[in-house]
Amino acid sequence: MVGPLSISLAPYVKASRTLSTWIKPIANWYANASGYRKYGFKYDDLLVEERPDVQRALSRLTTREKYDRAYRLKRASQASVLHGPLPKEQWLKPEEDVRYLVPHVLDVVKEDAERLKWDTMKVTRK
Amino acid sequence: MLAARASTRNAQRIARSFATVADSAGLKVAAVDYNQPTSAVTFLVKAGSRFESKPGVAHALKNFAFKSTAKRSAIGTVRESELYGGVLSASLGREHLALTAEFLRGDEEFFVDVLSSFVTSAKYTRHEFEEYVAPVVEGEVTAASADPATQAIELAHALAFRSGLGSSLFAPSHNSITAEDIKSYAKSAFTKGNIAVIGTGIDPSVLTQLVEKSLGTAPAAGTTSSPASSYFGGESRTEAHGGPQTVFIGFGVAGVPSAELAVLAAHLSPEAAVKWSQGLSPIAAAIPQGTSVQSVYLPYSDATLVGLLVQGGNAADVKAAGKAAVQALKSAASGISAEELKKAVAKAKFAAASAVDSRDGLVSVLGSKVLAGSTTTLDATLSSFDGLTATAFKTATSALLKGKPTRIPIQALSLAFTAKWYLPETFSHNDCDVIVVINREDIGGSAVPPSKRGASKSVNGESPWGSGCFEINVHSSPWVSGRIESFLD
Repeated sequence: MVGPLSISLAPYVKASRTLSTWIKPIANWYANASGYRKYGFKYDDLLVEERPDVQRALSRLTTREKYDRAYRLKRASQASVLHGPLPKEQWLKPEEDVRYLVPHVLDVVKEDAERLKWDTMKVTRK
Repeated sequence: MLAARASTRNAQRIARSFATVADSAGLKVAAVDYNQPTSAVTFLVKAGSRFESKPGVAHALKNFAFKSTAKRSAIGTVRESELYGGVLSASLGREHLALTAEFLRGDEEFFVDVLSSFVTSAKYTRHEFEEYVAPVVEGEVTAASADPATQAIELAHALAFRSGLGSSLFAPSHNSITAEDIKSYAKSAFTKGNIAVIGTGIDPSVLTQLVEKSLGTAPAAGTTSSPASSYFGGESRTEAHGGPQTVFIGFGVAGVPSAELAVLAAHLSPEAAVKWSQGLSPIAAAIPQGTSVQSVYLPYSDATLVGLLVQGGNAADVKAAGKAAVQALKSAASGISAEELKKAVAKAKFAAASAVDSRDGLVSVLGSKVLAGSTTTLDATLSSFDGLTATAFKTATSALLKGKPTRIPIQALSLAFTAKWYLPETFSHNDCDVIVVINREDIGGSAVPPSKRGASKSVNGESPWGSGCFEINVHSSPWVSGRIESFLD
């Protein structure tokens, strides 16, 4: 895995209507079963953040998003201390599980790739 | 004589090759070609601090120049320009924002595209603002506030013109500018009617063609306008944080800049024509060693600020130099000899003519006229000096001096006691737009009339109005300036 995001077949699945009707229920079940929502997390909270590119993406969140993320992390840590998930009313609803960080991560990855391209480019005269 | 002839020749050349095109798309394109080895294209936009929607937005927009657009990213713009060997720059004036690309001949297609893609499709992303633009804005503001001369000129504009031309070139040090503010300001400013394209070292027809192609998508809405400037004047005393002791003494006048005032500035300027010598100006002989006096002449489309900037190491010398400067101003108002006038006219004329030699000068001199849609030649500017008579000079100067002077002393922090006092009531700005500084050295001077004392508010149990003079610094907000006026009248 080179980038900050793992390899995903999601775009391919989403592009195909048949595949997505088949796989979506399974995916939803899997996301729920993995249990992070019971700790009040959004999926993007689990993204590996110990990387310069993700750190830069994190710095691009709005103040509100940064605050909410920190709150979710603290709340989940406390739940972990208490050895159990949050009370049910605090579980994250599936519709709240939005990818708030991934667009920024993709932007940063694109910028880094472009910088690399310019840094390693070979100039030829026409 | 030779110089005069040379400048006339130059002027004729400009008159011949300066093309002003108001094409069907409503764009104003002008270009001169002296067969220089490099070309430059400037997009002059009516987006100076005068027109800004919020203090500092114009400054931030200037620093947003050449960031990512729909066509290329910020790094792409920079790297690609470097490959072509070009230089991109943006500079902000009170009336205009100039986006300039300088490049080798033949690369005009790329650089006109860089400029126009910023004008038409810049993204103004939040992260670029926070990561690249805001730190540079902050740095420039800090640098400007550390320079007493810049600070004096900024304050002089604020006092002289209040709103419009009075708004600072620099963002307030604590501002609340967002990328959205900049985006909406740019959207209102970057319209066809607001942009003049000025090229040097480029064929006018080529430039027109390129601009038509690339700026065709710019919104066609009309030009930005701001209320006509009027001159107020006043006095403000500020603390300096390092740098020399500085005093600016100036007068302003509303209306189209006149040749008389340019001549006055040239007459007063103690700048020597030869190195290591003393100039022949009436001020030059009277100022103490180590003190400098610069004449300031700032013409705008509908107002002019003329003044003298006195700088020196200690307050006593600056005071002496300031006195000499004021004396010279006063004696100029009571008329100068024909010989002195001739000398001053020649100096002013040379300054006007040689300004056109440089690219920046050309853009600043002709840009505003191109924007106004008038075909202009250097001849017209220079001939206005020719008809100048001693009586016209005297009338203009004494009329200028009848106005309220703008005085900006910027002193090193040597005051025994200073207090800050903020306007009460509806004043809800977080930024300290109004500071009343009480200067103990001035105690005993004219105090605020007793009728106004009731309206005062005390700081730390002391009434600011009660003892001694007060000074007011009006930084930017026109609302505040208006308020102070009604407060003190």
